[in-house]
Amino acid sequence: MIVAENDGGVRLTVEPVEAMMLATLAEQVDTVLITDGDPALDRLLPDAYRDDVSASREFSRYTREGIVESKRRAARAVRDASSIDDEQDDPLTIDLVGDDAWVWLRFLTDLRLILAERLEFDESGNSQADDPEDALLGAYEWAGFIQGSMLEVLEAV
Amino acid sequence: MTQTLESVETAQAASLATPWITIVWDDPVNLMTYVTHVFRTYFGFSKPEAERLMMQVHTEGRAVVATGNREQMELHVEAMHGYGLQASLAKADS
Repeated sequence: MIVAENDGGVRLTVEPVEAMMLATLAEQVDTVLITDGDPALDRLLPDAYRDDVSASREFSRYTREGIVESKRRAARAVRDASSIDDEQDDPLTIDLVGDDAWVWLRFLTDLRLILAERLEFDESGNSQADDPEDALLGAYEWAGFIQGSMLEVLEAV
Repeated sequence: MTQTLESVETAQAASLATPWITIVWDDPVNLMTYVTHVFRTYFGFSKPEAERLMMQVHTEGRAVVATGNREQMELHVEAMHGYGLQASLAKADS
C-alpha cells in the first residue's frame, strides 16, 4: 500500500492481495453493523446520555438507523472500490478526494473499533492478544497505518 | 401560595435556560490525528484549537467541544458517533 497526495486528495496504490484483504474486512464490517447484539456495536453506537438510560434509548431510537446506514454505506463503498477479479496482477489505484476520503477515514475508524473489541483492548489500549502473528492485530495496525498516512497527506494539502 | 408559584416558575425558566454540552471522551483506539481532523472539519476549529481539545481528551479523558441547546447537542453527538468518536451530551451544570 502506497498512500500519496494526488491533486489535493489521496491516492492509494493497493497491491492485489491488500485489495482482497480490504474488501473482505469491509464486508465483515458491514455484517457486524447488522448483527443485533454484537458487542462491537456498543463501541460504534455508545450511549448519548451517560447517566440517563431512557434518554439514551430515545436518542438511539431516532438516530441508530441513520448512523448504521451511513457506516454501512462507507463499508460498502470501500468494498466496491477494493474489489478486483482473481486475474488482476497490477496494483489498484484508488483516488479519494473530499468526501470520498472521509468515507475511507470513517470506515477505517469503525474497522479499528470493531477489531479493538475483538482483541479485547483494555482502557489503556493494550491488547490481551500481543502475539505479533495475530491476524486481527495485524489488520488493526495496518488499518491504523493507512488512516494515519491518509491524514498526513490531507493535513499537508 | 403566589410566592411558591413564582419560585417554581423561576426555577423552570432557569432550567430551560441551562445550556447543554457535547463531551468527547478518550478512546485509545482512535488516532490523535484523526480526532483533530474531525474537530477541524466538523466544528470548523482552527488547527491549534482542534489540537488543544484533542490533547484535553487525551490527557484528561474528556473535553467539552460544544455548548448550546439540547437539540443542537444531540445533532453533534449523532455526528460524532458517525465519525466513530465516543461522545455524549449532558446539562452544562452536571
